[in-house]
Amino acid sequence: MTRSHALAAAAFAGALLVPFVVRSDYTLQVLFRLFLFSALGLAWNLVGGYAGQLSLGHSAYFGAGAYGLALSTRLGLPAWPSVGVGILVAMLFALVIGGVSFRLRGPYFALATIACAEILRLSAKNLTGLTGGDVGAAVPALFSGQVVRSFYWSAVLLASLAAAATLAVTRSRFGYYLMAIREDEDTALSVGIDTAKTKLAALLISAALTAVAGSLYASLFLYIVPDQVFGLDISNEVAIVAMLGGVGTIAGPIVGALILETASELFKNVFLEAHLLIYGGLLVFVVLFLPDGIVGTIVRRRTLARRRAKPPRAPDHAAA
Amino acid sequence: MTAQAAVQAAINGLLTGGLYALVGMGLALIFGVMRIVNFAHGAFMMLGMYITFVAVGATGVSPYLMFPVAGLVMFVFGALVYYGLLSRLPAGADFMQILLTIGLSLICTDAVQLVFGADYHLLNTGLASTNLALGYGLSVNAPWVVSFAIAAAISVGLYLFVLRTMTGRAARAIAQTPAAAPLMGINVHRVQAISFAVGTAAAGVAGALLLPVFYLYPTVGDQFTEKAFVMVVLGGMGSIVGAATAGLVLGVVESLTSLYWGNQWALVVDFVLFVLVLSFKPGGIFGTERA
Repeated sequence: MTRSHALAAAAFAGALLVPFVVRSDYTLQVLFRLFLFSALGLAWNLVGGYAGQLSLGHSAYFGAGAYGLALSTRLGLPAWPSVGVGILVAMLFALVIGGVSFRLRGPYFALATIACAEILRLSAKNLTGLTGGDVGAAVPALFSGQVVRSFYWSAVLLASLAAAATLAVTRSRFGYYLMAIREDEDTALSVGIDTAKTKLAALLISAALTAVAGSLYASLFLYIVPDQVFGLDISNEVAIVAMLGGVGTIAGPIVGALILETASELFKNVFLEAHLLIYGGLLVFVVLFLPDGIVGTIVRRRTLARRRAKPPRAPDHAAA
Repeated sequence: MTAQAAVQAAINGLLTGGLYALVGMGLALIFGVMRIVNFAHGAFMMLGMYITFVAVGATGVSPYLMFPVAGLVMFVFGALVYYGLLSRLPAGADFMQILLTIGLSLICTDAVQLVFGADYHLLNTGLASTNLALGYGLSVNAPWVVSFAIAAAISVGLYLFVLRTMTGRAARAIAQTPAAAPLMGINVHRVQAISFAVGTAAAGVAGALLLPVFYLYPTVGDQFTEKAFVMVVLGGMGSIVGAATAGLVLGVVESLTSLYWGNQWALVVDFVLFVLVLSFKPGGIFGTERA
């Protein structure tokens, strides 16, 4: 067990114990959001960070989880199996959306993911017979008694699951395939990596985790409308959490969620109507001064410092 | 549904499409030269609307004469955004460009909301109830016709700028082969700055022309950002003629969709068209290049 393992275990245990210290429901709800978006950022990171595919339509899977839960219980299914239905629907969406969009690259891919998510959002608004449209749909409660605590714990568990999945992926052949695709898709293809299948597999895992987060979110509110769960805001926030922290790192999305959720909660209370202005300013600041994201920048600085501390080995010089 | 209603819807769609075209051309110019997904394009258009709104309120002059003000202010604004923000990003930082433009869009929208409030405004030019009869029971709404005519004239100007001027040629060179452009002696930064500023100004002018016929509110630009993306992709890889044509097509398609299936499906059809084109003809309907 290395130091980072011990640290992770301590953080996990600490996070689970928080509700015994923090009594305020409001604070716990903010923390729920924090862990929920950590999980979402980590899930997005598999596709956006490791495979380098900039998805800006993750609300498709989030909304699938939310509406999957809401609509299956209406058909008489118990609440928890309905979460499973949400996962399956999200994975089905991922198959279709991935099939369409993974053939495209760069900005075209990003635009295609936006378009797919928007088609779902608008359809959910328009198909009032199925979803209730803008009037909304009732969502069953996943917990009874100790509600806020239970939601908090499930978000912590989901974030830990997402982190563990990320760790497992990064250490597997599959993870290296993903990173190869990110670095150079044509080269990856030329060395025999089935890039289409690999990207799709990453998206399926990502979509499943995102759907669970969507179900949790919906069930906390007990009521959802399409703009809330299928909206561009969710897609953007998920991607921003990961990019702010640093894409392609495990700690990145968690740090990103910590900063973004704390900041937006503070801004809402302090700056009131100007909170989006400040939020936008924060984004611009990060882009200009921390272009690799927060964790990414720290990692790069550390590597540079280490290189400076240790003079390069002689053969390097000889080679140069 | 009679054929007459369909033709009328198509005419109305064409008029809307003329304004879409201007928004789309601006984004196509930016996208072609810089390959950035500019999420702030609709916000720029919205700023153009508010600038005109204020200018008309202060001077009492018709918005049809005030659009150069919006264009000029947005040109300067675009140049500032380029030199102050975009040019500082390293090349190929797609993620960061997107974050930056999302941030910029939030800043613009929220700043406007703080100053003007979230209320809807409508500028009455006195023309709103004037309809021109075309015969066969068809008619067109006067403010739309005026806006369309000005938008068409500016679109032609934009086209000539890109096709005939040295800067326009340089912009197309960058769009075609970014790596070779500097080798041909093109000052890439300067051309990108001008293109970005011109694209932003086009959005601002489109906003000014939209003001007499559209409600004004801080988030009005959001839907136009999305539509502009659709136009750029349909038109093919930064082709401004393609984007303009796509704008007209989009206007007609939306109008006919509204007529037959209802207004709420118009944007869905836009996006379905978009996904289909991306899947089967990624070079765009009117483009020849591959994406």
